Amino acid sequence: DSVAFGQGVQVVDPDVRAHVYSLVTALGGFNGEDADRYVLGDDALACLRDIRRWLKLYDEKYHRMDVARCLGEANLVNGDLLPIFSLWWSSSQKSKYMSRIALACLELLVPLTWPVEVHGEMTVNHHRHFPYLQHIQVSYKRGLLSRGNLNFLRTIIRIGLPSMAVPRSERTTRDDGILKLVLYLLRNIVVITPNARLAAEGDEEETSRSATINAFQAQDVFALILTMCSNVGDDFNMQDVVLLEILFHLVKGVNVEKLFMDDAQRSAKHTDELDTLLKQESSLRREYAKNAPTRHGRFGTMIWVKRDDAKVSTVSGQDVLKDRQATLQKMDESKKWNRPQRLRARENSALNNDFSTPAQLNSTASRNLRMFVEEFLDSSFNPLFTHVRKALEREADRVVPINSRQFFYTVAWFLEAERARRARQQEIQLQDEKPIKEMEPDGFGLVAGVLDQETFVFLNRSMQNSFDQKDWEDLNAEMRCFTQILLTVQEMTQSPLDEDLEIAENIQNRIFYEETTHDRVLAIIREYKDQGFGYLDACTELSHVFLRMLERYSKENVDMQVRSRRRTRRKNIEAQTSAPEDNNEGHASDDEDIIEAERVCRERKFDFKRLAAKFCNQKCVDTFVAFTKFFRELNSGQLKRAHRYFYRIAFKQEMSVLLFRVDILNLFYRMIKGPGAMDSSKPIFKEWEELSRQIIRRMIKKIDQRPALITELLFSKMNSTLFYLEYGHEKQTLPSV
Amino acid sequence: DSGLSLGLDEEVKVTRKRLPVAKLDEARLLSQTGIPRLRRTAKQNLKFKGKGHEFSDAARLLQFYQLWLDDLFPRAKFADGLTIIEKLGHNKRLQVMRREWIEDEKPSAQVDNT
Repeated sequence: DSVAFGQGVQVVDPDVRAHVYSLVTALGGFNGEDADRYVLGDDALACLRDIRRWLKLYDEKYHRMDVARCLGEANLVNGDLLPIFSLWWSSSQKSKYMSRIALACLELLVPLTWPVEVHGEMTVNHHRHFPYLQHIQVSYKRGLLSRGNLNFLRTIIRIGLPSMAVPRSERTTRDDGILKLVLYLLRNIVVITPNARLAAEGDEEETSRSATINAFQAQDVFALILTMCSNVGDDFNMQDVVLLEILFHLVKGVNVEKLFMDDAQRSAKHTDELDTLLKQESSLRREYAKNAPTRHGRFGTMIWVKRDDAKVSTVSGQDVLKDRQATLQKMDESKKWNRPQRLRARENSALNNDFSTPAQLNSTASRNLRMFVEEFLDSSFNPLFTHVRKALEREADRVVPINSRQFFYTVAWFLEAERARRARQQEIQLQDEKPIKEMEPDGFGLVAGVLDQETFVFLNRSMQNSFDQKDWEDLNAEMRCFTQILLTVQEMTQSPLDEDLEIAENIQNRIFYEETTHDRVLAIIREYKDQGFGYLDACTELSHVFLRMLERYSKENVDMQVRSRRRTRRKNIEAQTSAPEDNNEGHASDDEDIIEAERVCRERKFDFKRLAAKFCNQKCVDTFVAFTKFFRELNSGQLKRAHRYFYRIAFKQEMSVLLFRVDILNLFYRMIKGPGAMDSSKPIFKEWEELSRQIIRRMIKKIDQRPALITELLFSKMNSTLFYLEYGHEKQTLPSV
Repeated sequence: DSGLSLGLDEEVKVTRKRLPVAKLDEARLLSQTGIPRLRRTAKQNLKFKGKGHEFSDAARLLQFYQLWLDDLFPRAKFADGLTIIEKLGHNKRLQVMRREWIEDEKPSAQVDNT
């Protein structure tokens, strides 16, 4: 008799399955006569320990995931572990035996919910069980978050409380282990998300970020996190990194601006968004209607396009009758061939650590998260992040490489949140002027922990490292962090407190003093090459904010000095040739080192024009063009950013030649005139229209003056001819005397 | 069987070579239908209206390039063709040619010619 394909295949060794199943069965079950009551097996504790041993000695040792899969199929978590927790909770947690069982359950729960990630050393078994485990973990999360009115999270915290209460000096390794288990379980819960590629079951809402946040609020997980974060320096030294991870996974992708709106504003915003979407759709329809055929589909129009040399092309359809532009558009669209493009290996390891994908929260979750964020800023920002930074710098044992990315992103997010909160407070003060007028304005002390010299050094070094190592996702997080620091400092300079002003002045001085920083920002924006939209967004924003602030700062401080590296090759050679003549060599080399150090770094007067001119090259233009190509998805802030850059290029730096390229012209033209143009009712559209018009006008004028531009329009300009094309004469060089 | 001795049953291997795929490369770009033609026709055909007609001028310019590209390399879509040509522009030979085209129109060169 025939067996269906794959029917007889055993994914898991049957013996293993039998062992695991018998253990799960022996653990306990629902009693026959008292069906809603879970009854523990006689040797439940030993069973739990055996299961744990199986996980360790079979799965981990042999790099399989078989036992984890069997446990999933046997419904261990939802069928046994969770009922045991509620049993422990309802027995008022007195019995020592039950406490040990609860702890053993927790010990199982943590590895079972551990996020499955794609990594380098995956075996066949990993690949085989991967989707199943992802799927089953979601159901674990669902069980943990919502099961009637049972509070599993609270129960789990309860397991850790005795260990928390012990002062750090008296804590045993076992206590530390328990705390670790509790925190890692919380982290796992936040991380688990339904895989978008697996079939949806229709109840994603129960395991969404919103559900997690609401459960955290309702079951005092937030209170626990706040307590630990604010005491991270004293009582919870080793837990800082896990706490950071929890925070990161809570806030990644959440839009700060929306979070800090009140409900009315948010719903207004949502209505606005819906409105813009509807408008977009109707404008799409309008555009289609403009070119839609007015007769039936078989009306059969065909036209000739007359071309040079008495040639003609044929195009069919009535829509091409009225407009030459539409005709050519259709000719282009009918071509089948596409330019072969290099396939890029998508980075999969960013699965759980991706922060560029936006996360949506419902209104309850927004309120809860905002409350948490505000309390966190008030109490825990400085202690936690200072501590984590030290751990990262020291490369402590508990730190894994991904943590630094999480650190920078989370810092950036909370800095933005702090600014949003301030803006909101000011708004409220303006609204009901009188009563709060006497209140003292807040200083920036709450976030001072990341505005010190050590953080800048760490940030600079990490940026340089990730840039050199091509760790683009890390660099993305670091750029966001740097941008937010700049913006925060910027806001500090407008603070009414003298102290803040002074500090801001100092920080700015430090940031802008090093010329290596300037060069790094420049290098990053120059080196963009298909790293994805999130990266593109971050790097354009950084260069935009950086340039603008530096411009203003150098205007205010006319005699600003920077520390620059200078090449002193000639002098080096001189020093080398003169060195052997010295008799006391050891002493001389010491001196030389000092002199050398003085020589390599030299202060000189800062010239903003020179720096701005450095940003004015074809590579940077290409980066911004790549960014502008997303114009249909960009918001007005982002469009403004690109607009300002092109404006700077064309009119402040007088290098409009860099923009004279057919593909750029094509892009600008499409943005204004379509098909698929920007929404013309927005104010930013007017600015772009004006900019495009001015650039085109210049281009046409230049073409008339210098016909060679007709060919040069096809290419990126060469440095040697750039100046001539712009000004019509060679650069005047002073005749050497 | 007489066929056997005549070798009629032996299979004759016919290896067909694929036709070489047309490419947009330096040679094509510099051939008569390439940039020389672009320069020639631009002088004759491109007339702009100037101030106040920026977008229609831009459209005219884009159409001019599109038709030229369609003649030069009909396979590629406009945007694809532009990217390919832009890449070619980094070649040594093309850079020399480009500099020559610019030198052609420089005032000093014109003075020399006359």
